Amino acid sequence: MKQRPSAETLSERLAGRDPEAAAELYDRCAPNLLGLLMQILGDRSAAEDILEEVFQRVWNEGRSIGKMRASAGMALVLAARARAVERYRAGKALPSLPKSFSLRKALAWLPSEKSVALLEERKELLKKVARQLPQKQREMLELAVFEGLTDEEIAQKLGEPSARVQSGLMAGVRFLRHRLAAVTGTWAANI
Amino acid sequence: MGCQHLDEYYELCLIGTLTGEACTIIREHVADQCPYCLTHLRAAARTVYMLCQPTRTVRPDPKRRAQLLHRLQKK
Repeated sequence: MKQRPSAETLSERLAGRDPEAAAELYDRCAPNLLGLLMQILGDRSAAEDILEEVFQRVWNEGRSIGKMRASAGMALVLAARARAVERYRAGKALPSLPKSFSLRKALAWLPSEKSVALLEERKELLKKVARQLPQKQREMLELAVFEGLTDEEIAQKLGEPSARVQSGLMAGVRFLRHRLAAVTGTWAANI
Repeated sequence: MGCQHLDEYYELCLIGTLTGEACTIIREHVADQCPYCLTHLRAAARTVYMLCQPTRTVRPDPKRRAQLLHRLQKK
């Protein structure tokens, strides 16, 4: 059986414009990405369009991503989510927001293939951990991530004071950040 | 100047949920290659990645897959 190349090798192969690396990246990431896009948009055709658009963008930046040894999978998730939220908000006639993610600018800080591979490896455990979030905080974070709502819009939707939503969002993120560091054995300074 | 006061904001700015002054400062620091902000944004991306996990995965259309990979190959 052909051995699956390591994450670093995939990044290097993308930088070298290897079409097989593109296929491998697609097969590895597309089902998850499409799930994310469908969850945000609820429209298969729009989700497939965005999947192709972001995949093309990441492929175009392949050399830089490879050079930085950054995770193309991470770039795909962040770019796809940002694009889907933009479209979702436009469809709901919500005001457009400042761009939260730019692939080119993100090259300076995208996590390494290796650290994202570790997340993937422990994904099921991390999902279990995420389910331990208090219900209200999880609801707020889901509105933020999958509907792209701002803190004030969440406050309005839930009928909560804005300050309570902000602190709930921060507490939720803090909980996840600490659990993630515990599960993956990493802290910010070591990533 | 230290950036510790920004610690609570990296993930929420990356998601786009907060858009206030802290996010503007983070953007400026990242553009200036602030090592603290780059490191913390890198860590925040991992938390956001975890938050972006969908409840279910969806199998892409094989025809669209083939067309996309064909287009990439030609570039």
